[in-house]
Amino acid sequence: MASVLETPQAPAASTSPTVRILREKLGDQVLRVDEWRGDLAVTVSRKAWVEAARTLSFHPELDYKLFLDLCGVDWLDRDGHDDRFEVALHVYSVSHKHHVRLKVPIPESDATLDTIVGVYKGANWFERETWDLYGIVFNGHPNLSRLLTHDSFVGHPMRKDYETPKRHLLKEAKQWLLKVPEGSEHMIVNIGPSHPAMHGAFRVQALMDGETIQDAEAEIGYMHRNFEKMAEERTYWQVIPYTDRLNYCSAFMNGHGYALAVEKLLGVPAPPRAEAIRVILSEFSRIMDHFICIGANVVDLGAITPFFVVFRAREAIYDLIEACCGARLTVSYVRIGGLAQDVPDDFEARARTAIASVRDVTSQMEKLLTRNPIFANRFKDVGVMSAEDALSWGWVGPCLRGSGVAYDVRKDHPYSGYEQYDFDVPVGTVGDCYDRYLVRVEEIHQSVRIIEQALAKLPKGPVITDDKKVALPPKSEVYSNIEALMNHFKLVYEGILPPAGEVYGYTEGANGELGFYIVSDGGKFPYRLKVRPPCFAIYAAFSEMIKGGLLADAVAIIGGLNVIAGELDR
Amino acid sequence: MATVNVVRVERNTHPGIYPILLGLKITFMNMIRTLFMGQSATIQFPEQKRVSSGRYRGIHLLTAREDGTPKCVACYMCATACPAECIYIEAGERPEKSIEKYPTRFEIDLLRCVYCGFCVDACPEEAIMMSRENDLVGTTRAELIIDRDRLMERGKLAEYGPGYRPTDHDVRRPVRIAALERLKKEHGIVPGMPHR
Amino acid sequence: MPKFTIDGKEIEVAAGTTVIQAALAAGIHIPHFCWHPDLAVDGNCRMCLVEVEKMPKLQIACNTQVAEGMVVRTNSDKAAQAHRTTLEFLLVNHPIDCPVCDQAGECYLQDQYMDHGLHESNVEIEEKVRKRKVVDLGPIMLDAERCVLCSRCIRFEREVTATNSFEFSNRGNQMQIGTFQNQPIRHDYAGNLADVCPVGALLSHDFRFKMRVWFLKEHESVCPGCSTGCNIHVDERDGETQRLRPRRNVEVNKSWMCDPGRKLYKDIAVTTRISGARLKRPAGWEGVAVTAALDEVGSWIKGSGNTVAFVASPQATNEDLFAFKALADCVGGLLDFRVGDPQLKLHERIDGVLQRADRNPNTQGALDLGLGKDGVAEILKRCASGSVRALVLQGPELLRSPEAVDALAKVPFIAVFATHEGPELEHAHAVLPLSLWAEVEGTFTNYQRRVQRIRKAVSAPGDARPGWELASGLLQRAGGSLPAQSAREVFARLQATVPGYAGLDYKIIGSGGRALQTAEPAAVEARA
Repeated sequence: MASVLETPQAPAASTSPTVRILREKLGDQVLRVDEWRGDLAVTVSRKAWVEAARTLSFHPELDYKLFLDLCGVDWLDRDGHDDRFEVALHVYSVSHKHHVRLKVPIPESDATLDTIVGVYKGANWFERETWDLYGIVFNGHPNLSRLLTHDSFVGHPMRKDYETPKRHLLKEAKQWLLKVPEGSEHMIVNIGPSHPAMHGAFRVQALMDGETIQDAEAEIGYMHRNFEKMAEERTYWQVIPYTDRLNYCSAFMNGHGYALAVEKLLGVPAPPRAEAIRVILSEFSRIMDHFICIGANVVDLGAITPFFVVFRAREAIYDLIEACCGARLTVSYVRIGGLAQDVPDDFEARARTAIASVRDVTSQMEKLLTRNPIFANRFKDVGVMSAEDALSWGWVGPCLRGSGVAYDVRKDHPYSGYEQYDFDVPVGTVGDCYDRYLVRVEEIHQSVRIIEQALAKLPKGPVITDDKKVALPPKSEVYSNIEALMNHFKLVYEGILPPAGEVYGYTEGANGELGFYIVSDGGKFPYRLKVRPPCFAIYAAFSEMIKGGLLADAVAIIGGLNVIAGELDR
Repeated sequence: MATVNVVRVERNTHPGIYPILLGLKITFMNMIRTLFMGQSATIQFPEQKRVSSGRYRGIHLLTAREDGTPKCVACYMCATACPAECIYIEAGERPEKSIEKYPTRFEIDLLRCVYCGFCVDACPEEAIMMSRENDLVGTTRAELIIDRDRLMERGKLAEYGPGYRPTDHDVRRPVRIAALERLKKEHGIVPGMPHR
Repeated sequence: MPKFTIDGKEIEVAAGTTVIQAALAAGIHIPHFCWHPDLAVDGNCRMCLVEVEKMPKLQIACNTQVAEGMVVRTNSDKAAQAHRTTLEFLLVNHPIDCPVCDQAGECYLQDQYMDHGLHESNVEIEEKVRKRKVVDLGPIMLDAERCVLCSRCIRFEREVTATNSFEFSNRGNQMQIGTFQNQPIRHDYAGNLADVCPVGALLSHDFRFKMRVWFLKEHESVCPGCSTGCNIHVDERDGETQRLRPRRNVEVNKSWMCDPGRKLYKDIAVTTRISGARLKRPAGWEGVAVTAALDEVGSWIKGSGNTVAFVASPQATNEDLFAFKALADCVGGLLDFRVGDPQLKLHERIDGVLQRADRNPNTQGALDLGLGKDGVAEILKRCASGSVRALVLQGPELLRSPEAVDALAKVPFIAVFATHEGPELEHAHAVLPLSLWAEVEGTFTNYQRRVQRIRKAVSAPGDARPGWELASGLLQRAGGSLPAQSAREVFARLQATVPGYAGLDYKIIGSGGRALQTAEPAAVEARA
């Protein structure tokens, strides 16, 4: 176990080529280099921001092509931070299998930063979000407007001095998302916010030339509840129920990712049994998520049978999850350092029943869909996304792999013991809807493989760490002795106190890389908790993808992107 | 790294009408399974009810002491742990000096509650538990803020069964208690002294 | 000035400093129970053991004076082991009481278990020694089982109040704390016993079972109960004040506070608070908007010219007084504040500890600002002769004084700033809602001429406003102006005009206050 007291410190000279090249390029514009808990963070000055991003992306030795995350941090009146704001960019190099965090301090008096939309397409929405929540203006941004909050919202809610009890009356919805050219006879069609082809409440406004989409713009935020702000007023373990509501089609995986990120911050690993159970339940959740994605996708196209067929297996999985967690969807089963309790005695039998059911319905689903000419014609060569664009947009998970990039966190950065399991990472060749469908189907098979291996060698032992500063003591001890009772009290009202520092924890969610960027000031609440929601970046590309296509194709595309409002809007 | 290229599914085939017929067959098979083989995935709710697991996190209940008073001592642990801030407690004084404190008010706003079970985890007295009751019906919001006495009512528990509750049992403690008793019986030694 | 090393840090301290004090100054927390910064050293709890190089045994940090070249380790294996075992011993007979104990959340045992203990238990409930529980000692509740026998309460009673109520009885594991025949505590400083007790053995009766302390948010402030100006914390949850508690300031109140002062929070959220302005009409009182009431009062002031008289209140902050004086100066009317001559009692002590006879927090400030100008008697005389057309009162003190009733009846218009309802307000013609001390930012000047800050802890009810805001509203209507948007800005103007306050601002005053240069050193009494 790593010491909890370890503090972040800058090594004298980092050996990382990233730092070397950035130093060569930018000289003294590189203000600071931190390496902590395996994360590399480079702070550059505001002048060198775009150049630094460009270097990371285009330098052949670095090749940080995959855009992951961009977010703000507010250091209001904090010692050690001369400038109030900070913007953190996370990017990943698929070829070198390396993450980097690029940070830039921004003074309050002039809260502006140059946009990097020219380097990473995906930065568009992330910068809009940062402006929306923090009020940091991005110079040169094509459309810097409210994204998650309502258009008539006043203030920037993630700022530390924002008064949370403040209420706004938000009435007028934005009527026009698009600029209609003067004298144009094209028709504006609003798809959503409430529309049978939309998976949740989000809206796309399309400018139609007959059946062809000329221009489109998406609007999101209908389910925005500012999970990140709420997390800033919750202890580390109180955040867990909120994570269930991110991607609610695979609720368990969010908690898994969150717990791993906090464990990384603490340096306290979960015991092997807990990790194995987490893997099993995560893979079951992934299967469910893929079922929902495929099922709902074909429902949009008019085929309702596959959806009903796969529900049989989903029910078996939900039964298993309920037996372990006590709830079907809002699982809140993980704890920092392990799990709430051990799985029931009949866990393995139930899991095998669920696997059998998954096998059964998957084969039926494949027979119903894969060769079906009606289905294939709607999917093939529709919504093609090139690998290069997919990376730039920040696509991850099955969508990225559908475009032919074999990046899977479970394989490239194994966590929770994924290195012990033998599985394949399917990739597509064309990058169309059909490839994304095939990747998902194959991933269901691979998940079953992982579950079977994990079940076969499920280790014995405790399911939660014995670190008294992290895990609640056993109830029987709490009832009968003062030491455990005091420990229990302190952990409940004070919570876990991690060291000051920041980590980016990432796992392979059902939709791809689910990241939690946690900044801790050593207090009981996370100072900043940023979720890197995979479908946010994926959906950002949607309105670009559908331009020039048919409206019916847009319906086929959106289901395959698997946009989940809970995760998208947070 | 082992990767599977999904091209192993031949993209450019022209299987004609066969897959559609196969699909029809699957649909009919499912119909037969459901209608005649008793493999229906659905149940006849509300006549028939799902059996929830023993860990189900449904509506809370407060446990009682032997004399029927609440076991709760109003320590506010559940209210502290609650991420939804849905528990409201007011504490009062109990005449028994060994207990001292009890909740004069204990209310849970079931509409705010997220049923995460943290109150159960946080309780140091095994006073709050969850039942498997999950049908939450009311015509006003106020009706669904349930108070101490309703939380103490356990009539419905027979119908639904207990849900999420602490389960770990100490194996060490009974052994030590037995040793203490033997000490008292065989040697007349009582550790500590009686209260005075 | 010996130099020594503690946990690898080399520091220099004054001769005679103990290791625990030096460590605290260096930001190192040594666990302790019996040591208290304002009580004599007793050295009985053995929790503060530290390793001192070249000394064969561990030493207690509270009673070891720093010597030149000493090397101290507070967290070496040996010291950590000692902390753990000491704590384990202290917990042997500790009851399983956290759920019912109000100390939970500010308990030294809990804190130090998390920091230094984390050991397993070796004692069963059945083995624990039982002692007296729930003993009512008046303002204090005693639970002898929870006691760690640190003797802080005994020393407090001996050294601070000199009442010697507490003593140990019995020996060995039967030893316990108590008063003679459970007699209640009968002095005005009982609340401090609950504060000095590091565990839940002595707890406040008033705060009992009211709130869990971890829900509370603390705000630094100053007690408005008398001219001593004790530094306090206002503990509040969701805008509701739950208790007042002393804040250590060696220059003013050390770590103590009187019980009458502690009870002042009860005045904050009561139903008799005034939340809106009202005017007396022939048909009776009529509630109006504050601006409308200000207009009415303003027109009386404007219409009456220098026949307006002003009576300030020593309950008000310096900022309020400054704005009020600006109003009086602008109009040119009579001005004073000395209802009942508080300045005579400013330094008079009620007991030998903290309380003073002047029950106003800011008499000194009012004197400094020059509000004692024309004399209350003169104002009343003019009122009686009918030459005062309007009277503006910053507080209801004058309305309460029985000798003023006849004179006031002759004044056609009386406006009063008031926080609470009371029968005296019937004499007024306009009532303006005033914020209470816990609801505003500002400064008080205590009897030592120490300027100390009070801070806003809770929101004022309804439309109540700070005194300076009301006065500045009237000033504007009377034709003057006070260009300030906050108490901080008012203070910036104040320091520019009032001699002695020059160069001060809120940041300089800080949390401990700032003593002013005294004009007459003889007038300042030796500090408490």
